Amino acid sequence: MSADARGWRIALLPDALVNPREAPRSTLPDVLTLLEAGGYGVLQLPPPGEHGLLLAAIADQVAEFAHHGYALAAVGVRGEPSGGLHWRRLAPLLRRRGVALPLRHLMRPGDDAAAEGQRLAAFLSSVELPVEEQRRWRV
Amino acid sequence: MQPGARRRVALIANCLLNQNAKVCEGAHYRGLVSPVVQALRSRGYVLQQLPCPELAFAGARRWWAVYEQYDTPVYRAHCRRLAQAIAPLIEGYVRRGDEVILIGLDGSPSSGVRFTSSKPDWGGRPNRPEDDWEIVPRRGIWIEELEAELARRGLPTLPATGWALDMGRFDEAGSRRDLEEFLDLREATTGTGDDPPP
Repeated sequence: MSADARGWRIALLPDALVNPREAPRSTLPDVLTLLEAGGYGVLQLPPPGEHGLLLAAIADQVAEFAHHGYALAAVGVRGEPSGGLHWRRLAPLLRRRGVALPLRHLMRPGDDAAAEGQRLAAFLSSVELPVEEQRRWRV
Repeated sequence: MQPGARRRVALIANCLLNQNAKVCEGAHYRGLVSPVVQALRSRGYVLQQLPCPELAFAGARRWWAVYEQYDTPVYRAHCRRLAQAIAPLIEGYVRRGDEVILIGLDGSPSSGVRFTSSKPDWGGRPNRPEDDWEIVPRRGIWIEELEAELARRGLPTLPATGWALDMGRFDEAGSRRDLEEFLDLREATTGTGDDPPP
């Protein structure tokens, strides 16, 4: 095995941003490309609907990451219920697992995809754990 | 895409979108496994990430393990619960006539499709300095349980392959060729699809 390459950053992402062709979003930048450039991994939220068991499974994964030195963010999109993040269901699941809610960023489909991309990139680069937490876990 | 058009859907192992889910020293990318994402998106596939069974069961700081160590009733029950959580989405895709494929992680004790890792005598103190497990041609535990859940729902076996990340020595170019051959074969088998990539 080679040295580990993980980026220690994870974004919760709506299905609508993982699969933007599902609903035309030509006025948004490609979010997966920006997340890759920022060194983020993705936890995909399901499309709108009832997904109680799946959201609980996702919350378990988020809790495991949050408790072991990973920086977490949530990127939603305007026009989807809860930004596509199932926040009304997911937030209580996270709280019950002792997880501080991830910082959220909302993408705004509009005329200027480049500006939206810059806004997202700035948000992504701002999400990080305190240095002492990084040193504790990332060895 | 026209509303109601038949889609291509790729179920992908959790760590293909999130390398942070890997065991320590197992991550070959910072986050996304971009060759897989690119190959699928360029062919018009909708991505559906599967849960990671090992992460929620044994934790982010788990030891490496082989198939036999995860082959326990409790781990299988955990995998079945996860399969029941994601199966309604998969069933929805299949029932509406979408073409659904599965991309696992070859060599993984859980997410292996063509191959998994085996060493029946592994156990006890984790002091194996050499990569002395064997690669054997069989599904990982999670894929076995997921396929069993889909079969219980009366769904057909999905065409499947694995990205060969956990085979001991990772060969990205070879893995990319394998995946593209698999996808090209699907395209030849099912036609060109009704939704070519932009």
